[in-house]
Amino acid sequence: MADTNAPDRGRDIVIDVDLSKRTSELADKNLALLKAHGVRGIDVLGSVGSGKTTLIKQLVRRLKDRYAIAVIAGDITTRIDADRIEAEGVPVLQIQTGGACHLDGEIVRRALGRLDLDAIDLLIIENVGNLICPAAFPIGTQTRLLLLSVTEGPYMAVKHPVMVRQADVAVINKVDLADAMEVDVTQLADDVRSVHPQIKVVSIAARSGEGIDGVIAALEL
Amino acid sequence: MHDVTAAQRIATTVLQAAREQGAERVERIDLALGAMTMLDPESLAFWLEQILRGTVAEGAEVEVEQLPLRVRCKDCAWEGEVEVPDDPIYHLMPFAPKCAVCGSDEIEVLGGDACVVRRIRVTGAAEDD
Ligand SMILES: Nc1nc2c(ncn2[C@@H]2O[C@H](COP(=O)(O)OP(=O)(O)OP(=O)(O)O)[C@@H](O)[C@H]2O)c(=O)[nH]1
Ligand SMILES: [Mg+2]
Ligand SMILES: [Zn+2]
Repeated sequence: MADTNAPDRGRDIVIDVDLSKRTSELADKNLALLKAHGVRGIDVLGSVGSGKTTLIKQLVRRLKDRYAIAVIAGDITTRIDADRIEAEGVPVLQIQTGGACHLDGEIVRRALGRLDLDAIDLLIIENVGNLICPAAFPIGTQTRLLLLSVTEGPYMAVKHPVMVRQADVAVINKVDLADAMEVDVTQLADDVRSVHPQIKVVSIAARSGEGIDGVIAALEL
Repeated sequence: MHDVTAAQRIATTVLQAAREQGAERVERIDLALGAMTMLDPESLAFWLEQILRGTVAEGAEVEVEQLPLRVRCKDCAWEGEVEVPDDPIYHLMPFAPKCAVCGSDEIEVLGGDACVVRRIRVTGAAEDD
């Protein structure tokens, strides 16, 4: 038992490490590593069930003949998403975050160490379904794709400008359900642009594959 | 769950510093926690204690200073503190601070977004007294 009542026991070591800063340094290192190996990294962010896995499957299907693709699937405990993507015939590295609700630079750094980066030119990372934590924990990719689905309602962009500003491409998914959800897709796209004028916005229905070519164009692939 | 990851990172940082200093025990850990991190101090301290079991920092006293979110408005230049609502929705969506004067969300964060390991108190080795 430590005697916590002893007043002047021991000596102080000043650390002053900002762990949130350290995460951006880790992200910078990951990005440098990807660039050094000629790998283009895309971080796919979106709420739970917004359609990240469905979109990645569609992208892989259309791009696997032109690019050597690998996918990192972040999932809290299961391999379900990894298996779904692997069915498209590309290697998938599953990272079980073991309860953590986001991927971060450190987890991705370890994953990159397990991939043969020289054999890959496109790396797609499915982040864990969650928006606040990924916003705070950059993982170090060239591109951040934010997936919004009309089932999340019409106000996502207005209510959550921080995430929108950190993304390079915003994809509005499940437009097939827009009428049922009473969401005006054009208005939602305008809202996205009003908080982030430089962002590219694409509307899709990931399940049927409608609009996927527009995503590929926006990603300049 | 956010809290567990943060606790793991803090533990790694603390144990690394302790090892570098040849410390035999870590008696105390001082943290500063910004409101914008959405970390819950009690839950963080709890997980930190669990993770540190069986290490030189087992049983260390954990002190958490909570720092408010401080912002500057890019539109009207107002500076001040913004309350971060205690709403679990902000674990799913980012919290977007707004200017208390003009309502703008073009905000620069001045402080309260960090999670800092400030210092640790250790015993053993490198003792020059
Ligand atoms: N109607 C409709 N459903 C879709 C569309 N895209 C995806 N879905 C459905 O939405 C559900 C969730 O899709 P996923 O791709 O698993 O979503 P996710 O974002 O990967 O989910 P998590 O990994 O659990 O966060 C599935 O039932 C999909 O079939 C779409 O364009 N239209
Ligand atoms: Mg998924
Ligand atoms: Zn203002």
